[in-house]
Amino acid sequence: MPHNTTAEQRLGSPLPSKRDEVWKWTDLRRAVTDKAGGLTSAARPKFDLPHGVKIREGEGPEKQSKKYGHGTMAALAKSFGGKSWEIYVPSGLRPAAPLVISDIARGHCRIMIMVDKGAHIHLFEHYGGEQGGFTNSDIQIHLAEGAKLTRTIIQDDPADHCRIANAHIAIEEGAKLTQHCLAFGGGLVRMETNLTSEGEGVTADMGAAYLLSGERHCDMTSVIRLAHPNCTIDQAVKGVVDDKTRGVFQGKFLVERAAQHTDAQMRHDALMLSDRAQVRAKPELEIYADDVACEHGNTLGQLDETSLFYMRQRGIPIAQARAMLTEAFVSSVFDSVEDDDLRESLLVKVREWLEAR
Amino acid sequence: MLKINNLHATVDDGQKQILNGLSLEVPAGEVHAIMGPNGAGKSTLAYVLTGRDGYDVTEGEVTLDGEDLLDMEPEERAAKGVFLSFQYPLEIPGVPTMTFLRTAVNAQRKARGEEPMGAPEFLKTARALAKELKIKPEMLKRPLNVGFSGGEKKRMEIFQMMMLAPRFIVMDETDSGLDVDALRIVADGVNKLRGAGRGMLIITHYQRLLDYIVPDRVHVLSQGKIAASGDADFAKTLESEGYDAYAA
Repeated sequence: MPHNTTAEQRLGSPLPSKRDEVWKWTDLRRAVTDKAGGLTSAARPKFDLPHGVKIREGEGPEKQSKKYGHGTMAALAKSFGGKSWEIYVPSGLRPAAPLVISDIARGHCRIMIMVDKGAHIHLFEHYGGEQGGFTNSDIQIHLAEGAKLTRTIIQDDPADHCRIANAHIAIEEGAKLTQHCLAFGGGLVRMETNLTSEGEGVTADMGAAYLLSGERHCDMTSVIRLAHPNCTIDQAVKGVVDDKTRGVFQGKFLVERAAQHTDAQMRHDALMLSDRAQVRAKPELEIYADDVACEHGNTLGQLDETSLFYMRQRGIPIAQARAMLTEAFVSSVFDSVEDDDLRESLLVKVREWLEAR
Repeated sequence: MLKINNLHATVDDGQKQILNGLSLEVPAGEVHAIMGPNGAGKSTLAYVLTGRDGYDVTEGEVTLDGEDLLDMEPEERAAKGVFLSFQYPLEIPGVPTMTFLRTAVNAQRKARGEEPMGAPEFLKTARALAKELKIKPEMLKRPLNVGFSGGEKKRMEIFQMMMLAPRFIVMDETDSGLDVDALRIVADGVNKLRGAGRGMLIITHYQRLLDYIVPDRVHVLSQGKIAASGDADFAKTLESEGYDAYAA
């Protein structure tokens, strides 16, 4: 074993590194230095709560809690995050306004969200840190029977920010998750979703896009564990990598024996805008039930030269043609965003990224 | 208008010589047809004129109203008024037809230093034209050419051509994949654009299209150069006698 780094000494724990299978392409140990802002502090996220949604500070680090995720990063969030935040959406509550969590930056934090029976809520998470900073967040979400959560995540950290954003989502019978994530990476960024069925007929529709420029790194990891019948999962991730960036996709469906009639689709498609960029992808299906429809697909490509020529022949300058084709490639993952204004605001961010290149 | 002089061109990084000293002049207001056997270089000529990557000019000149075309990027040539109706129009998923076309119209206007066309004027013009070409309004909202039939794609090429109002038009096998009704609609559209100041080069394997768009001159392209030329009736002779006489 290598000696602990100074950052690891301060944390009193080894950090995940390329030696760990699930971190092999996202070497956190190497990326985090002891100078990273927030390495051992508690983050202070901001909450905007719709009427009727409650929040309280939960138990501190001294109390063991099984509610939160396992693994090194979850343990660090518990050790350094101070008290957790516990948010409660009462049964049947369906506020029009979103629940907004922002300033999840500089330090560790734990947030628990309970969406009770039949409640519908829109959760908007904004991850934007500071230069040279480090953030480790662990969000635990529980959707009770018939609950519906629309989760929108925007991650736009500075180029050198290190971030691990982990979500553990447990879904009870008939509950539904619609999740959209737009990520721009950073020094090293990992957006992770762990979803577990806790009842029959769970539905999850998950779209994500990562757009990387400069020397950014973004890792989209998800583990979807189904242990109940009649669940439907539709996951689509699109990546655009430019310059000397690195994109990582790790997607896993674990379909246990009891999860008959699962209908699960996973797609990852990446577009290389530079030959110095890298994309690593590992789509994985582990299936123990015999009556299921599970598929995964993974592609890596470049903009189609013939399409580019066609557009230029019509008078569209090459840079604009490239931007239009790239936007068209990315935008399909946001087709299922129900709120028109929200979808447009995501596409505006995509366009801004394209224009800034 | 269009002057091609001693044009030589290669593909596959210079490995394959396709055009071998082609010379041709299309004066303003005239429609010329280029016919010839498969592999004669017809599509290569279309791509060389419009500047596609991978088609390298090794010798010769091409000018449009005295301006050197070969020096320009494809989008600059388009802004100068060169339009290619593709043999196989591309599908552009995710880009609605109207967005695509309005972007093209205004990119060309910008390149020429003209004011952009506003949304109301654009919509009005597009709707009227679509009706004329029997293009359903809902097709204009769909991503460009995605899921369109071969005939619909060709009509969409003519629609784009009429919206862009180019000065010099190259049509590459526009008749392929068209039934007689669609052919008539397409030909009517093209004939409307005929006139003073506008030149056309119609590339076709068969004479059929030339019954509807009667050319001023017909040229046979064989082995990368013009092997013979004649008037409109010459196309009929070629159709009945074949191209064997012009092969090496």
